[in-house]
Amino acid sequence: MEKKFELDSNSQQLKHFREELRPLLKQTGLDDKASGEVLLALQEALTNIVRHSYGSEGGKIQVDFSEDAGEVRFSIRDFGHKFDLTQVPDPVLPRDKPGGLGIFLIKQLMDRVTYDGSCNPGNLLHLIKLKSSKPV
Amino acid sequence: MKINQTQKGDIERFELEGELDFHTSPELREKLQDAVQKQIKKVVIVLRKVSYIDSSGLATFVEMLQKMKRYGGKLVLSDLEPAVRSVFEIAKLDKVFALANSEGDAAQLLA
Repeated sequence: MEKKFELDSNSQQLKHFREELRPLLKQTGLDDKASGEVLLALQEALTNIVRHSYGSEGGKIQVDFSEDAGEVRFSIRDFGHKFDLTQVPDPVLPRDKPGGLGIFLIKQLMDRVTYDGSCNPGNLLHLIKLKSSKPV
Repeated sequence: MKINQTQKGDIERFELEGELDFHTSPELREKLQDAVQKQIKKVVIVLRKVSYIDSSGLATFVEMLQKMKRYGGKLVLSDLEPAVRSVFEIAKLDKVFALANSEGDAAQLLA
């Protein structure tokens, strides 16, 4: 199964997108917990784009979803400022300051997170969840 | 996000309903700020009807906890849904917050 989405970079769209994704993730065979983890990781990645790649400028975000027997994949493309979140060091936990957890959650919740900085302008992020992965 | 704020004895109670994310967190933050400004000593936030939380929601609670600690206030989060509790656990925030299984337990933690 494959599906493409195009979103505007604003926080209000994130909830609508979550609602659109929930039934789609159910169809992949992931259980509720794993689906929730994918949903949260994806939302954190999108929030990151809204806040950091585009900021107040706004812009488009393209999300490609695909799955096969072994894994669920999301590729997230934006056209904003360059930002490689895979290079952000993990925070020392527990955090005693607000913030700084979004990227950590993405890395924890997904099995593979890879960044492709070769696209210009913007960023391309790949998130993969194995269907066999153990709950976080 | 619905925020129902009531007072029960000396405890300020916030019951939240909906999804706590980057979009809805600012509204909650504003309400909680009011309690901090009034230096309310005992606050319970009931999360029974919160099905989703992201890092913005976590940050809102961490900020509240820090501010309350400065004036000797106590904050308890109560009735977390498993999916929400799991996010706290991944971030190891279950070691930072007082998490109660029920409002009765929350009242005891605040006593």
